[in-house]
Amino acid sequence: MAQVDDELVFQEDDHRGAYIFTAPGAENDEVSAAPSSSRPAKRRRVSSAAATTASPSKRQREQTQKKKDSAASNSAAQNGTSIVQENDNATGSFVPLFNGAESKEAVLLRKETFEAAWDGCLDERIQRVLREANQNTLDEVGSFIEHAGELENSSRGGGRKIPAAFIITGPNIASQDLLFEQLAESLSETAQARVVRLRAAGAPNLKAALKKIIRDAAAGGVKEEEETEGDGAEVSVGGDGRKYLDYDLEGLHAFLKTKDSRRVIVAFEDSEAFDNGLLTDLIALFHSWQNRIHFSLLFGIATSVELFQARLLKATAQQLYGAQFDVVQADSVLESVFKSAVAGTQATVRLGPSLLRSLLERQRDQVAGIHVFISSLKYAYMCHFYANPLSICLAENKEKNIVEKNILQPQHLQALRTLPSFRSHVEIAVEEDRQFAHAQLLIQEDSYLRKTTYSQRKERRRYVLKLLRCLHLLTSSGLLKGSFPDVYVNALENGIALSNNHCFSQVIDTIKRLTAEKVLSLARSLTRAIKTGSAELDLPGWESQDEGLLSQFTYTIEQVSTLLRQAAKSGNPLKSKYTAQSKVLRTTVVAQKVQLSRDSATLTEQDKKFTTVVDSLIDTLGAFIWLQPIKDIFLNEVWVYNSRKPYREVFVPRPGMVIDRALGRPHDYLGCECCAPVRAQKKGDAVVMGSMPATAILYHLYMEAGSLVNVADLWAAYFALVGDEEGEREGEGEGGCLDERTALVHFYRGLAELKVLGFVKASKRKADHVAKLKWV
Amino acid sequence: MARRTAKKGAVQTSSPKKRPVPVDIYEIPDDDDVPVRKRTRTSLRKIEVVEEEEEQDEEKEQHTRNGAKTNLRGGESEPIPKPKRRGRQPREVLSEAPNGKVSTPTSARQKKTATQTPSKNRLNGVDTPSRRNMADRSARRKSARALIDRVVEGALSDDDEGDGIAREIYESSEDEDEEPQQQEEPESADEEAEVAPTPSKRRGRPPGSGKRQQQQKRSPTPPADLPAYERYFYQNKPGRAKTSNNTLSSLDLLTHDEYFSVLRQTQDHHAQNIRFLESLHAESFPQWYFELSQGFTVCLYGYGSKRRLMHQFATYISTKQKQPSQSQKIVIINGFIRTLTIREILSTVSSAVDPTQKLPSSNPQVMIQHLIRLLNSQPPETSISLFINSIDAPPLRKPATQSILSQLSSHPKVKTVVSTDTSDFPLLWDSGLRSSFNFTFHDCTTFFPLAGTATAPGGGEIDVVDEVHELLGRMARRAGGKDGVSFVLRSLPENAKSLFKLLVTEVLVAMDDDDGSADAQGAAVEYRMMYNKAVEEFICSSEMAFRTLLKEFHDHQIIESSKDSLGTELLALPFRKDELESILEDLMA
Repeated sequence: MAQVDDELVFQEDDHRGAYIFTAPGAENDEVSAAPSSSRPAKRRRVSSAAATTASPSKRQREQTQKKKDSAASNSAAQNGTSIVQENDNATGSFVPLFNGAESKEAVLLRKETFEAAWDGCLDERIQRVLREANQNTLDEVGSFIEHAGELENSSRGGGRKIPAAFIITGPNIASQDLLFEQLAESLSETAQARVVRLRAAGAPNLKAALKKIIRDAAAGGVKEEEETEGDGAEVSVGGDGRKYLDYDLEGLHAFLKTKDSRRVIVAFEDSEAFDNGLLTDLIALFHSWQNRIHFSLLFGIATSVELFQARLLKATAQQLYGAQFDVVQADSVLESVFKSAVAGTQATVRLGPSLLRSLLERQRDQVAGIHVFISSLKYAYMCHFYANPLSICLAENKEKNIVEKNILQPQHLQALRTLPSFRSHVEIAVEEDRQFAHAQLLIQEDSYLRKTTYSQRKERRRYVLKLLRCLHLLTSSGLLKGSFPDVYVNALENGIALSNNHCFSQVIDTIKRLTAEKVLSLARSLTRAIKTGSAELDLPGWESQDEGLLSQFTYTIEQVSTLLRQAAKSGNPLKSKYTAQSKVLRTTVVAQKVQLSRDSATLTEQDKKFTTVVDSLIDTLGAFIWLQPIKDIFLNEVWVYNSRKPYREVFVPRPGMVIDRALGRPHDYLGCECCAPVRAQKKGDAVVMGSMPATAILYHLYMEAGSLVNVADLWAAYFALVGDEEGEREGEGEGGCLDERTALVHFYRGLAELKVLGFVKASKRKADHVAKLKWV
Repeated sequence: MARRTAKKGAVQTSSPKKRPVPVDIYEIPDDDDVPVRKRTRTSLRKIEVVEEEEEQDEEKEQHTRNGAKTNLRGGESEPIPKPKRRGRQPREVLSEAPNGKVSTPTSARQKKTATQTPSKNRLNGVDTPSRRNMADRSARRKSARALIDRVVEGALSDDDEGDGIAREIYESSEDEDEEPQQQEEPESADEEAEVAPTPSKRRGRPPGSGKRQQQQKRSPTPPADLPAYERYFYQNKPGRAKTSNNTLSSLDLLTHDEYFSVLRQTQDHHAQNIRFLESLHAESFPQWYFELSQGFTVCLYGYGSKRRLMHQFATYISTKQKQPSQSQKIVIINGFIRTLTIREILSTVSSAVDPTQKLPSSNPQVMIQHLIRLLNSQPPETSISLFINSIDAPPLRKPATQSILSQLSSHPKVKTVVSTDTSDFPLLWDSGLRSSFNFTFHDCTTFFPLAGTATAPGGGEIDVVDEVHELLGRMARRAGGKDGVSFVLRSLPENAKSLFKLLVTEVLVAMDDDDGSADAQGAAVEYRMMYNKAVEEFICSSEMAFRTLLKEFHDHQIIESSKDSLGTELLALPFRKDELESILEDLMA
């Protein structure tokens, strides 16, 4: 290893806070030659799993085993991963899978497919959706500011108010950035104003805030001039050659005089975080300059305008002339992002139901923000293409390439055969469908499996279309309640069916209970849904493909409207047997006894006809709207990514647990013989052993101690564990016992590390005591 | 608390009238008393009472194991002395009531312990502190009164045991108080002997002698199965932390020289395992690189130094980037360096981007704006990889610093890798910062010692000896104890020397004054007073000059200043008393 070299380098660079790293030359090639690996999904498991085994060789074997296990749960069967590093720029950071046996073309293809799927397609779509989501707010704010500007022009003179737009952004500050960026863009165009964005962190006091405002407002035109100012210059040069202090609005005024527009818009992005006094001062100052520089203000407000107003002095509040604007709520933004990026036809990889559910839960339970969702989505794509060799089957326009060049290697086929969906498919083929030949060919004939795999690609598209069409029909017609993401996840997990005992069975009841008019409008909206499709889902209309369905709707519309006309003539309201049942209850008194009888005989001819129409509508819908759960699809692992583990490990870290485990049971990580727990002990029992690292021993003792720890006693306890009673031997004695000074050195190191890890701090309550900081 | 009770005792004449009120407030319905008073009234009642008594007897038996205290009650519940005394001493009209009550409060206390203990057992040792304290306080007040009454009256022999109990109660609750009061009656010497070998500095009676230790059966270790938050409350119960008074004074603390010479001889028997663990992490380099290239920031956490791993990763990246030209640079930042500033980081990054441009070294906010402008003006293939070791180290912890770092790392041309050491690093970032960092977290437990290895003992993130000594409140940084002080003073003018002499003298006097407190280090002198003395001694003539002299001490960290709650400025010396004394000797010589 390069240990010695590294340490030498450390000696030099250690005590420098920041430095430019230069690669230590050619001998470091060994680092790149060091075993490198592949998959985001499994890395973590390997490192922690390593701890459970005893010897390195055994561990290697177990790793392979673990990988095999987890491969089944994830998406593809990949075996071990030690890789021959290829410094090939084209494949970039993608590494060959299958123990390095994957061909270069396949690796390249995976990379390109990923880039096409994410960078080329989804990323743009998501950005567009996010931008569009804010469009309304932008327009409103823009027109308000413009209008305010006109007002200003019309009423010149002192005592004017500052136009202020209060934008209710909600609590998530992470998503505000885009909004204000867009606002700055659009406002500088529409209102021809200079926009300055202020954040509380960047403007701690009046002087700093003014400096920033003046600098940013002036930056638009005279960039070069500003740059030549050099550092530390307290002055800025106005158009007339006079010099001004750089927090003097006079300078800005002088600068603006030379320009055609005198408008400056100041955006307080996180107005809650600003100091009350600062805000008041700024507003008062702006107000006094209002006749020379036309200020407009934007406030990003997380809570409410009332609360904001309560923070300002009345006199200050009176200087503002404001309007309130709402931003699209996070839920609806999430839904539209979900529709276009997760559910839409453009999404190459389908995220599995359990992953999606945990993503959505995180959105709801924690105020994680839409950006976290998008990052997680991207990470899922990354995992899929980085770690799943079968993902090459998703390459869109290289279809022919794959077939012709025969890019699927024997390893790919072997991997395909280990997929759970392959197994269950073969089992079903044998046991239920009696297609022995098919099953046998799948298992034995490589070429047959190849062919099936390719044909399965069409199956994927068909499935996705069907899924989206069904959902589109159900949601656009208002038959299903609940948010689209929930419905979608449900459909993936359980499939869709309108039969009984299914989560979508409520649809039938809903249809049955509809009145004639509602049925009419339902049929119309369904027809419309088929004809237009959904832009959000990127689903085109499918008029031509489902004529049967469409004609059924047309038939329903005709029939029901005729029946309605007839009913209107006859004066009887039109009802079906489902709606009628609930209404008619006949009460008869016979011989002083009350008889209750349900009346269904009163259904007229038309009612009966209507009933059959409704029934046939339900039947047709039921026949069309049917889909199996995604996990039952043959070879779904190729295009479905459903692993929650990498997501959770990468985005929701649990550092407390990790450190607790490392210090509590170092054997888990080190896998050394000396600290291996004795067999008799139960798993999870923390046992202190003298051979553990000093920090781990001290951690155990620390956990037992109270809120104040006596270091003298800690030392005594530590020495009792590691020390050598006689204290005669020098250095490390037999059985790992240490003499006092060596033990003290270790003790020092452990204690210092505990301090750095944030477990203890100095305490003045008693001499030689430290205070405990963590209760894990 | 203790003081209040004592005062009450002192104003003895007025207290008897008021006494019944507080007693009643806290008095817990006393089963033992009930029979005494009511036995004659109803027979039905009597039966009940008898049953109760039996129950209590069982309880008592259960608790006899805990100590001899329950045995004391044998003769205590006899009602006989009360009427006797009442009849006998006519001049005692005033103190009659308290006297009559002498046994009552004690028995109440007794009863209390007897009935409460089982409930304690049921609750797995966790009892609500407030209730217990309250009851204890009332019992204690009563027993204090009892003791005082006895002293005033002259000792009466007939409820000796009751008196013993009263004292016991009084002492036991004193133990839980923050400020120990001096004992009214001196303790016997043999009890002292039982205490930990090093006698404490307090003049008062040391905690944990004889009977009391028996009475406190609570062990300092909580039940093992408590969840973390319960343990927090268990261990932070009001009252003095029960730790021994042992100090490290007998132990010869390590010096830097000894530390390094011993460390060089040791070898870590886990080195092999650590290296293997590291190689496992190194397998993830391509994955991290991929994440970086996709605009994520990689964050490594877990126990152990990740610096070497980061270094290897940096090397890996530099080999990955085919032509490590001007436009692709790696900047490494060591957050654990105590003197690191955000300015240093920004100027290093900017010199990596373009060595010819110089950032205005003013406010960091301005610097980052310039830096971003500089990055934007660079050709698109430029990239900077920023490696931040220990981003959660104290120099980088400030929110302003973190927000600047996040602005930097969210720039598309900057790829960032950070490592963290503590376990609560996520608290550094709010959701805005976190989303602009766009983190992917990876568990990188390396077990590589933060303190450096035997082969490169100085190569660790932390200066072990200094850290520990700082933790222990020993003179930590630089000056190196009293030797450092004399070294510093040698280079200072005569005025400074005499000022320091004056300071040491005053602080020593202050230490002697509040000798009782355990932390002699806390002794501080008022700034104003020091100034006046310095003027008197002709050390300086103006406050300006005084400040200048102090500034010199501050620079060498041989003086500390602070403000107390009233805003008075205080000066203190970060040395222990013995150190100060020897410093003074040196100065006088």
